[in-house]
Amino acid sequence: MKNLTRRALFTFGAFASLAVLSFLGIDALPGDGCTALHGRFATPAKIAECREEHRLNDSVVVRLGNWANDAVHGDLGYSIKRDDQVAQIVLPRIRNTAMLAVVAGLMAFPSAIVAGLLIGRYPQSRVGRIINTLGLVAMTLPEFVIATILWLVFSIWIPIFPGVTVVPSNATILELLPHIWMPALTLAAVVFAHSMRTMKAGVTTVKLMPFVESARLRGTGERVTLLRHILPAALPPVVNTIAVDAAWLLTGTFVTEAVFNYRGLGRLAIDAISDRDTAVILPIVLFGLGVYLTMSLIADMLVRLLDPRLRQRS
Amino acid sequence: MNTILQFDQVCVEARDRHRDMTPILQSVNLRVEMGEKLGIVGGSGSGKSTLLRIAAGVLSPGLHHTSGKVSTAGVNMLAVDPKVRQQMYGSTVALVAQSLGEALTSHLTIRAHFHDTLGHDVNDETILSSLGDAGLDGVKYLQRFPHQISGGERQRILLALALVRSPSLLLLDEPTSALDVGTAADVLATIIKLQELRGFALICVSHDLGVVGRVSDQVVVMNRGQIVEHGLTERVLATPSDSYTQSLLASIPRLHVRMRTPQLSVQPPVVIVHELTVIRNGSTRALDSVSLKVGKGEVVGVIGESGSGKSTLLSVISGLVSSSSGSIHNGNGFDLSTPLRNRPHAVLSEIQMVFQNPDDSLNPVRTVEQSMSRYTNANRDEVLVALDAVELSAQFLTRRPSEMSGGEKQRVAVARALLMHPQLLLLDEVTSALDVTVQASVVKMLASLQAASGMSMVMVSHDIALIASLADKLIVLRNGKVVEQGSVDAVINSPIDPYTQHLVNLAATAIRK
Amino acid sequence: MNSSSQRRLIRIRIIVYCVLGFHAIVALIAPLLPLTPTDEQDSGAMLQGFSATHWLGTDALGRDILSRVLHGGRPSLIIAVLATLLSAIIGVALGSLAALAGSWIDEALARFIDFLLAVPTLILLLLIASFFGHDPFILSVTLGLMYAAPIARVARGSTQVLLARDFVRVARLQGGSGINLVFGEVLPNVWRVVLTEIAMQFTWIILAFSSLSFLGLGASPPTPEWGLMIAEARSYMTINPLSVIAPIVMLGSLVLAVQALVDRE
Repeated sequence: MKNLTRRALFTFGAFASLAVLSFLGIDALPGDGCTALHGRFATPAKIAECREEHRLNDSVVVRLGNWANDAVHGDLGYSIKRDDQVAQIVLPRIRNTAMLAVVAGLMAFPSAIVAGLLIGRYPQSRVGRIINTLGLVAMTLPEFVIATILWLVFSIWIPIFPGVTVVPSNATILELLPHIWMPALTLAAVVFAHSMRTMKAGVTTVKLMPFVESARLRGTGERVTLLRHILPAALPPVVNTIAVDAAWLLTGTFVTEAVFNYRGLGRLAIDAISDRDTAVILPIVLFGLGVYLTMSLIADMLVRLLDPRLRQRS
Repeated sequence: MNTILQFDQVCVEARDRHRDMTPILQSVNLRVEMGEKLGIVGGSGSGKSTLLRIAAGVLSPGLHHTSGKVSTAGVNMLAVDPKVRQQMYGSTVALVAQSLGEALTSHLTIRAHFHDTLGHDVNDETILSSLGDAGLDGVKYLQRFPHQISGGERQRILLALALVRSPSLLLLDEPTSALDVGTAADVLATIIKLQELRGFALICVSHDLGVVGRVSDQVVVMNRGQIVEHGLTERVLATPSDSYTQSLLASIPRLHVRMRTPQLSVQPPVVIVHELTVIRNGSTRALDSVSLKVGKGEVVGVIGESGSGKSTLLSVISGLVSSSSGSIHNGNGFDLSTPLRNRPHAVLSEIQMVFQNPDDSLNPVRTVEQSMSRYTNANRDEVLVALDAVELSAQFLTRRPSEMSGGEKQRVAVARALLMHPQLLLLDEVTSALDVTVQASVVKMLASLQAASGMSMVMVSHDIALIASLADKLIVLRNGKVVEQGSVDAVINSPIDPYTQHLVNLAATAIRK
Repeated sequence: MNSSSQRRLIRIRIIVYCVLGFHAIVALIAPLLPLTPTDEQDSGAMLQGFSATHWLGTDALGRDILSRVLHGGRPSLIIAVLATLLSAIIGVALGSLAALAGSWIDEALARFIDFLLAVPTLILLLLIASFFGHDPFILSVTLGLMYAAPIARVARGSTQVLLARDFVRVARLQGGSGINLVFGEVLPNVWRVVLTEIAMQFTWIILAFSSLSFLGLGASPPTPEWGLMIAEARSYMTINPLSVIAPIVMLGSLVLAVQALVDRE
């Protein structure tokens, strides 16, 4: 338990210090909510008035303290530029991105584990090799290239999916669903090969280990050997890969969302960055940090569950 | 009698990346009857493991069967459908391969191992009786994972798993090589008992004539892919007819055969260790108040099983590991707890060390000459002198580790240490990875090196007979403590501590006459 | 391994080297080639397919696609080479130093590497690019710093394994210093693994930069850059597919070739 507590404390400490760093870093960027609001029509008088109104003249420590205090109480602040509560802006986008991530994850991860297991076990299979190569290509190409190719194929040549999403960010899940397939397919194609190849590499190594031969030589059946002896031993690195990819699906989908005009967090981040709305950028950065750190903590715990040697020590 | 295993002119080759072929088995003929106990002995590369594995129809990657026929229980093992072969495992033939305790699946309990072998409807009674036959008593093992049990227990569990479906042929590859001497003897006794109980045919492969001698009625001696001698174990051990068998027997260290005359003169010490304690992971005492003195020109042997702290002792003396308490000084009173990087060069060169694993002791990217001169700044002549001292020729200057045998690599490692002109040479199991015949020649070399240079040595080994053949003084370590120390004759002839007595008894009966 | 799969591997190797050589040469000599200037607009010939004057046709502004595509790798390659060099130096130094120092220094540096890995890369890049403009130097330094963490992790891991080996212990007993150990014993044995990781980072950096350009925050118009070209041409994809396909092929072949080089299968 001691290790796990230490690990959780590190996660929390890292989050807190990175959060403070992010606040200070974003604060240090040229411009603030008021310059963003007035843009190129700003006059010194207007800016000063605006800053007075929104108390932006307080010292950075005071503003950090206020922000943190509000955030702990569920208030993520106020966007001067968008004239709205930040939570109102960000939360629906998080929901949309999370839905996209769940669909893409369900498309990619289970099939990647099965494919990796089989390709690792039967490396000579022709179908396996083709899947491996396609996965490698999809993993290497930039997402906007994959998105463009998929769009070309499934929206223009064989129009089965709508190309560009035109639903508002607060649409219901049912309204959103028809528009989720194309971006989800793109994201799934990008992450599929990571976990598939990790799984395959694991199986390739594990299947030559003494305990596998030993199991076979005392008469353990092929299926039992594969599922109970090889699979669990090859899984820990896959758990880590999936954790990193899942974090990416939740926080890194800027390009795909931009291509399909999908109203998720990534789109919002690009918009907020281009109109310098720092009040919105900050929670997005913190969300990204939090997701990455939580995912790697979860992965660590799962790996411990898989390996009794680690379980005992923790 | 019924034949359980028959080899007809079996040839196996190894092919490497460049498609070069090396013969591994050359026209091997062999016949094993039901209920027979056969031992196979040979050095590394003799083909003994390949022979055993091919009896189960298994070939390691890179090996190719080129001709001949292997029939096990009447089935042509190399031609039959793999599915049929898979069905024979456990029920007709079982192979317990050589492994350092890695033959059990680390994420499954012992009960799960039996379930996977027997099916999930099997009850605990069956598992317990099978474990009981293998000398393991109690329900406690069922719930445990492999890492929670000792090496000897794991080997017994592997035996129980192999025998639970009553195969008529049991193949064992180096069943005791990863175990301590005492545990090994117990496991061998269990194997003999199980064989008497169940009556299966047994083939046991080992590099150790002692192991083979204990479990077999018939023995096969292999060298370079060929069977050079086959006969009754008693006869082969007493009057070997083949020259390789003779040299194999002559190479085995004997408890009372000395390579050099032990000296008992009191010389000024080169290193003084006083109440040294090393604590690992917060609480475990790897060494517990160990004191010893090494006199000039003295050879001190340290004996102990794995985990006894014998390697830690050498690491502390060398300066690679720091101690938790106690003191360590050289002959001039210099404090040897000083970190290596802060020591003057003269002190640094006083103590040098040679390690156990020949594959690890030389940088794989360097030639012998580069490895030897890099830190010693020796010129070519000096390197040649050092190589000569370990009986290697000038040809070796340009060789890389991948082009040398284990024995040659260990000689280079010794020669490299010599270039620092040390007063004390630490030898950590330097021959344990080598074949018996190679070991004998390295030990002889070390003896003559010591005689010529007058260097002090501390050598560590698990083999009491080997160490007694070289040492002046013996130290027996157990669980980090010194349980006995004294002159070599005193310890061998009249051991006081019960553990030492046990070790001496085992060594005295290692070769059944 | 049988000989047919070995032959296939050799064939793939040859193709990979040819593609990489092609990209290197094109990036170096593109300005010397007798091409239409990249920003010359042919108002009479917009969005045309291939012709004698424009071998790969023209884009929406009537610019020559061939010329733009051949110049289009230069911005990302320059930044990727600079950033990769920086990340390799920082990564290897940090990783091997941590492993060599051991104890609390190692612990602290390892945590620092974890810390760097947790930074959400793309959003940080977007911020820097958006607020500090398209300065290639700033972008290279940012990319170099962010992509040093994975290299440091690999360098640390493989150095730790090496340091525990007996020939390194002997080197210490014979007076080898820390620098001696890293350059003499460790690096000659781990450079392959570290180089593979560095090459992987190189492709990620190219991808990151072209994604930035695609989003309009990397190279700025009218600079010819593959990501930017794809973004600009997407709206006209149905009229002149070549305007999208040509930069895709160039970008794709470069990253796939680097990937195939490091992938030992």
